[in-house]
Order: sequence, then structure tokens, then C-alpha cells
Amino acid sequence: METLVSLIFTTDFISSVIRVTTPILLATMAVLVSSRAGVLNISIEGTMLFSALMGVVGSSYTGSAWLGLLIAVISGVAFSYLLAFFHLRLKTDVILTGIALNLFSSGFTVFLLFMLTGDKGVSTKLASKVLPNINIPFIEDIPVLGKIISGQNFLTYAAVISVIALHIFLRKTRTGTYIRAVGESPEAVATAGKSVNNIRQTALLISGGLAGLGGAFMSMAYLSMFTKDMIAGRGFIALAAEAMGMSNPFLSFLASLLFGFADALSNNLQLINIPSELTRVVPYLLTIIALAIYAARAKAKSKS
Amino acid sequence: MKKIRLTVIAIVLMLVALTACGSNDTPAATTGSTAPQESKSSPAAADKGKDLPKVVALLNGNLGDKSFFDSANNGMKLVQDQIGSETKVIEMGFDNTKWEPTLLDISDQDYDVIIVGTWQMQEILQRVAPQYPDKKYIIFDSAVDYSKGDLKNVYSITFKQNEASYLAGALAASVASTTELPNSNGKKLISAVAGMDIPVINDFLAGYIQGAKDVVPDVKVAISYVNDFNDTAKAKELALAQFKMGSSVGFNVAAQAGLGLIDAAKTSNVYAIGVDADQAMSMQATNPDTAKLIVTSVLKNIDNVLLRSIEMHIAGTLKYGEVDVLGIKEKAVGLADNEIYQSVIPQAMRDKIIELQAKIENGETAVLSAFTLKPEEFNALKNSVKP
Repeated sequence: METLVSLIFTTDFISSVIRVTTPILLATMAVLVSSRAGVLNISIEGTMLFSALMGVVGSSYTGSAWLGLLIAVISGVAFSYLLAFFHLRLKTDVILTGIALNLFSSGFTVFLLFMLTGDKGVSTKLASKVLPNINIPFIEDIPVLGKIISGQNFLTYAAVISVIALHIFLRKTRTGTYIRAVGESPEAVATAGKSVNNIRQTALLISGGLAGLGGAFMSMAYLSMFTKDMIAGRGFIALAAEAMGMSNPFLSFLASLLFGFADALSNNLQLINIPSELTRVVPYLLTIIALAIYAARAKAKSKS
Repeated sequence: MKKIRLTVIAIVLMLVALTACGSNDTPAATTGSTAPQESKSSPAAADKGKDLPKVVALLNGNLGDKSFFDSANNGMKLVQDQIGSETKVIEMGFDNTKWEPTLLDISDQDYDVIIVGTWQMQEILQRVAPQYPDKKYIIFDSAVDYSKGDLKNVYSITFKQNEASYLAGALAASVASTTELPNSNGKKLISAVAGMDIPVINDFLAGYIQGAKDVVPDVKVAISYVNDFNDTAKAKELALAQFKMGSSVGFNVAAQAGLGLIDAAKTSNVYAIGVDADQAMSMQATNPDTAKLIVTSVLKNIDNVLLRSIEMHIAGTLKYGEVDVLGIKEKAVGLADNEIYQSVIPQAMRDKIIELQAKIENGETAVLSAFTLKPEEFNALKNSVKP
């Protein structure tokens, strides 16, 4: 038990939680925008994977991490446009299309990687760039807090800012209001003479851009390379985090932090004599609890 | 009218696309179109090779993987250069519907020895080999099930990864118990990030732990499982936790996910040991700073194994109808001895490794295997070095 405490109450562990949380948080925000517009984007996983590859490819060909990030975000938006096109214009089922896009992304990224590098698993042949960590002046000098708040990756700050930005966007802007309206009552929006599809498409494209940031974090910050299927379920964890956060940006932020904490905890528990079969259950157990809460909430809502 | 025209155009385009795909894949169906490989059979070899077997390797993938298939290709080159046999390498690509027809096709031709590899070819070979009792087949890194039919003409090769891992463990423990090396803290703590809790992976770990204990009895080994082979980020997180704890050397036993361990070694500035292929050499061109930390890799030398098999085939001593488990003695597995190993690891440690290697070769050291250990015995072994 003592070792457990000494493991958790360290700045290293907190940094680990922040690292693990960042991609989940960005993905959660991506899910949130789409779900607020009433089109649940389950292709976040595939979008992140595609962006992760494009970020690596872009940064290696342009020689700039920032251009790589831009390309990753554009790729995310473009990938989400596919979902928007199929679902909104061609009226396909959003869940089935999402699954198809996830599978497509998994295969297509390997195909692209093979075309570009001749390798099918990793992008180590591409000299890709990494996004920098940012030290905040003054704050970095504060004893314990400075080490936690300052010196994180650029995208970690971007993820936190996205939570606040999304809150303001949904509450205060015209487009944000339309997005919420279209999620709650598409008929009302249609009656008011606005195109439901256009608003939903906007939401999906924003969702894709956020997922693009998440993908870029995976391959250009967390790791310094792209590897096959590297998102490894983080896009799906985000669906649970968003549900647990009841589509509220701040609650969803807390939910993704909880998942990040659980994951970091399970990684560290392996070091102290706890079998891996047990530790790997921790994040999934939390997911099930989250979904149960979500279901109970939905039931209560339908009764009232 | 417009619609019909569009449909026609669409169909034509689809056909064009399909035929384009088809022509790319023809190497599978007709062996003649594998032009690049064909040039390897030199005329000299053909003259000399009157009594020598004609050897063909069918690879169920493509070259350029820096690992398995490239090594097999290299083995075929060795066979041609050192023995003088006529050889051919055929890349069958990743479309597994083409593997069986290609194997049948090749079996109909005048090759004497047909080589395939990996577990994915196992069942196909089990079906094809009995139909051609006159041909000889070799399968590497997998074994056919000899109870499944008349497979007297098939020779299976599997590897003793635990023996090479034993040397890796010995090296890691030596490195971790000295402060002589710049990135080692001397805390006698080493680690490994493993893919899954399955026998073939635990076989690596069994050797690794035993090797470490034999050299440094009070060594500690931290072991974490990723629980898949894809989640590179999780492997990095696990490795970072191990390195924070004080591990000076991390061993990658998680295939592709294990690249995360190598990334973590770079972040934490400690040493890493690669797996399967020489991972230092494959990273040196693009990431020289990372490559410098990969002191060695546990190798499966498919090239040596194929050369040995063909030599034995010619001598008539190759045991068809049996499985051979090859280790250090047969040079089937081993540590990568590259310039990084030479420059980072001190002479005394390298001599020690050579000494340990000799002991395995002459049978003095029997390396534990996860295939023969009971699960509780393996757990006891893991717990005996738990940090």
C-alpha cells in the first residue's frame, strides 16, 4: 500500500495522467460537438488514426511540425466530411457508416504507409517532427504546481482550451446555438427555415478537426512516429467519456480525466506485484460503470 | 440518356481499376513475372547446379519488412552464393487467397525444395504437401501438425527465442549493475515490456530473467504487459513507469507496440534491447540518437537457418517429417553484434556474453522455456525478481 501511495503522489504520475488524458479529451470533445448536433460520430477512432498518419507524413515532407499539425487537422476535417457526405447527403445509417470508416481507416493508413515508406507497421523511415512542450514563464518556477502546469505539450494546452472554447461556442455563438437546436429539435430548426443538414455538417467538420488534433497528439507528441492501429480504442473510450459527461464540456472533461487516471493507474499498478489481468480491468470497469450511469440517467429522463 | 452514359463510364472505370489491380498482383499466379528475383540465378550457378537442388522460397508478404522476409531473402542469396544452387524468391503479397494456388503452381514445376514461412502458411502447406510426395518442403517459424496427414516431406523449423533472450538478460543485468556506462544508474534494476501473457512471449521473458539472475543474482526485473501488439503509446507509458522506477535497460518483447519502449528509452535516456530484427540498424538512418541507445537486439536469423537447411538437404541429413527447434548452437537465434554494441558495451561484458553463449552451445547451461514450465513455476520465476 505504501508503495502505491508513493507511486501515485508524485508529479511523474500526474504528468502520466495528463499525457494519457490528452488524446482522450480531444476525442471526447470531438464526440461532444457531433452528439450535440444529433449525429453521433463514432468514426472518431478512424479519423484520429488517419490524422495521426497524415501529421507524420506532412511534417516529414514539409520539415515543419506546425505544418504537419495543420495537415493533420485538415485531414481530420476531410475524413469527417466523408461521414457527413454519406450520412447527410446519401442518407446512410450514421453508425454503420462510422464503423465502415473506422475499418477503412485501419486498412487505408497501412496502405498509404506502405506506398510511402515500404513498411507496413511503422513510419520510422520518415523523419517526422515532434510538437514542442511549452514552458510557461513564472508558473514554471512555482515549486510543485509549476512542474505540473508548465512544460506540457502544446496540444495538451490546446485540449484544455478546446473545452472552454467549446463551452463558449455552444452557448454564445449563433452557429453553436443552431447546433444545439438541431440536436434537440431538428423539426423546429427546419421550420425556422434553416438547413438541418448544413448545420450537422458543420458540427461533424468541427468534430473532425478536433479528432485531427487528437490524432496529431498521438503520433507527433505522445510518440514520435505513426504505428499501425496506434489509436487503440481511445476514440471509443471518448464515446463513453462523453456519455458519462452528459454532453457537457466540463463534465466530459472530468470524465476523460477519470479515464486517464484509471489508465495511468493500471499502468503503474503492474509495477507493484498486481497481476496484469487485474490491472487491465480497471479502465473497462470504469467504462461499464459510466455506461450504467448513462443508461440510468436516460431511463430517468424518459420517465419524467 | 445521360444516366446511361454515366453508368457506362462508371463500369468502364471500374473495369480499368480492376485490371490495374490484377496486373500488379500477377507475380502470384505466374512465376515468370517476378523479374527482379529472377536475375539472381546466375548462369554459373546453373552450370554448377546440375546435381544441386533447385530451391524456391514463397513469401506470404512483401520484401522490405526489415525482419522476417528480408532475412529469408538474404538466406536465399546465401544459398546461391555459398552452395551454388539455383534459387528463386517469390513475393506472394498479402492477398491470402493467392497463397494456396501459388504453392500448388510452384509444386507442379521442377523445383526440388520449396520453402514457406510463418503460421499463416501452416494449414495451406498441410493440404498441399501430401499431394506432392516427391517434393521437399521447409516451413520456418511454424510447425505443421504431423498428425494431420502424410507429411513425411515437410521439415518444420521453430526457434528457441529463450536462448537469445538469456544472453539479452545477462547483458541487461551487467549493464544495470555498473555505473561505468553513461546511461546506467547501477541500481541492478532491468525491465521488459511484453505484448501478451502467452507462452511464446513468456518464453522470451523466461530466458531474460534466468540470464539476468545467473550474472547478477540480486537483480530485479520489472515486467509489464501491454495486452496487445498495437498500442505503442501504452507500451511507452508502461516503459516510462519502469524507467522512472530506476530501470536502466528495457527489453522490447511486444513487436510493433514495443517501439513505444524504444521511444521511452530515448525520453528517459536509458538503454533498450530490440527484438526479431536488428532494430538499431533499422532506425539509424532517421533516428541516430535513438539507435545509439539500442545496445543490441534479440534476432531470429532466418537466413542462417535456410542456408543450414539446404546444406543438410544436400548432405542428406535434413530430417524431413520432423520439427526442429533451433537455438544458439545452430545460429538460428542470437544477439545483434553491430557497431553500437561494440562501441557502447565494454570489452569485459562482451567477453562474458561470449562465454555464456559457449555454455549454451555446449549444453552446460539449460535455458528455461515457458513452453515447458508450468504457469505457477513461471510465476514463481517472475516473482523471484519482482522489484
